[in-house]
Amino acid sequence: MQDQRSNRAGKSFSGRALAYVLMAVVTALWGAPILWMLVTSIKPESEIYAYPPAWIPDAPTLDAYGALFQRFPMLTWFRNSAVVGILTTVLTLAVDALAAYPLARMQFPGRRVIMGVIFATFLLPYELLFVPLFLGLNSYGLVDSIFSLTVPASANAFGVFLLTQFFQAVPRELEDAAIMDGCSRFGFFWRILLPLTKPGLATVAIFTFVASWNNFFWPLIATNSDETRTLPVGLATLVGGAGMSMKQSVLMASAVVATLPTAIFFLALQRHFVRGIAATGIKG
Amino acid sequence: MTSLTSQPAGRSKARRASAQEGGAVRSGMTLAAYLFLSPYLALFIAFMLLPTLAAVGISFMRWDILGTPEFIGLDNYRQIFADPLFLTAIKNTFYFVFLTAIPMVVLGLALAMLLDQKLKGTAFVRTVVFLPYVVMVSTVGILWGWLFDKGTGLVNYYLTAIGIEPIAWLKDPHWSMPALAITTVWWTVNTNMIIFLAALQDISEELHDAATLDGAGPWQRFVYITLPLLRPAMALVTALTIINGWRVFGQAYVMTQGGPEASTFVIVQYIYLTAFQNFEMGPAAAAGVVLLLITLVFSLAQMKLMKAI
Repeated sequence: MQDQRSNRAGKSFSGRALAYVLMAVVTALWGAPILWMLVTSIKPESEIYAYPPAWIPDAPTLDAYGALFQRFPMLTWFRNSAVVGILTTVLTLAVDALAAYPLARMQFPGRRVIMGVIFATFLLPYELLFVPLFLGLNSYGLVDSIFSLTVPASANAFGVFLLTQFFQAVPRELEDAAIMDGCSRFGFFWRILLPLTKPGLATVAIFTFVASWNNFFWPLIATNSDETRTLPVGLATLVGGAGMSMKQSVLMASAVVATLPTAIFFLALQRHFVRGIAATGIKG
Repeated sequence: MTSLTSQPAGRSKARRASAQEGGAVRSGMTLAAYLFLSPYLALFIAFMLLPTLAAVGISFMRWDILGTPEFIGLDNYRQIFADPLFLTAIKNTFYFVFLTAIPMVVLGLALAMLLDQKLKGTAFVRTVVFLPYVVMVSTVGILWGWLFDKGTGLVNYYLTAIGIEPIAWLKDPHWSMPALAITTVWWTVNTNMIIFLAALQDISEELHDAATLDGAGPWQRFVYITLPLLRPAMALVTALTIINGWRVFGQAYVMTQGGPEASTFVIVQYIYLTAFQNFEMGPAAAAGVVLLLITLVFSLAQMKLMKAI
């Protein structure tokens, strides 16, 4: 008995050691690129290509950030991304919550069909929509506008799906009692249902914002001036073609600036991200 | 309405009764439901449903930005399948799916199992692995474009340190797609990890304890308890990985612009080039429909396969 126990303890010790070695390797592989991006962005020109590569700069400087903001309309791109992100999030949250309420809690003809059609779009490669969307918006002169970057994106089914699940979890008795007391359907929705499902609303808000912030292909098509161009599209112009000669420190500075808002968002609200992905498996 | 809670046998009677007595209530509910739904449905129809149908329609038409559209049957499909560049794009995208699918699923599960243990530091490592999720694709492309640089990139520096000859990753048609695949796994494996983590946490510990008492080793517990219970998560992860693989674009656009020698030219880039640089909307829509059909076939095949196992 004694032997067996010490044997098991020994095993679990070597098992634990192996786990820690693997965790260190994983941390290095996933963390190093991000760290390299940060380190390079504050290196002076003379150190960027130093051999062997240095993980700690000798003379850190913010020159690259200065050059980045001076040479490119970073502030405009940044502002556009923020405006588009916030508008998309507010609109999505409003229409998705309104739609999820009857889908989650009411019996009415057509409910199953509507849910089926909405959720089938999870399987749709959105790239298919971009040609007709572009042609449609173009015929109304709406290409290269904030409208084209915000309103179409709000048709996404992710929020409806997630909120339907959250709304279903609220007990039926609560709604019956509220209606008994003379509360209207909308009154119940606004004063009881929404406050009770704040975590779900937060999850949808965060995902919508991050997806909008990082959205690349549609803004690439739907914008053609710096007036409306968002960060991902603007940054893509830094590499390839004219940008080829760009200093790595400036490129990495652009990477840091673009990542900072969502990284802060993520570190502060990590559990919402995890819940959202775990519940739906949908990226963005 | 309370009679609805009666036995199934009485249900049709109850339904008839409520149709007479509660008809007004029910139609009120229907009206309310559609009022709540209407803003979303309007957006959904305008920006999701109609564009999907329009995409299929346009794929059968000659449609340049100027001039009147004209129905031409399957000509657009004939045109793209006669275009060597489109065939290359299908082949390249398939290669990308092939290169990413297995690592994304296996590594996603391995990371989840590693970080599901009750050990100090797992929360930190999870955060590190998850961080790339919030990095936008242009930034991922810019960052890894440099990491994979032949002369000054970190990847070759560390490979040389362990005795491997430097590789011209993004300039060599043989290595460009594997480089994109590595970048993509780094960037997106965290989504799969989180889904697996959630599923692992749903498996009760008593099950494992009972199996351990019965003398099952770690490998047996993995094969006979963990894997079967992970099946729904496995199906979801596999489907998402494959669908998203077929949709790859941003990484290739930023890191290699489809090159070298079109070795990373993918289907979505073909759509982009055809529609928005050559302004041939018909063939671009046809390519989009082909993409839809491919992802549908893969999803269905994958569902069948998962059921069979």
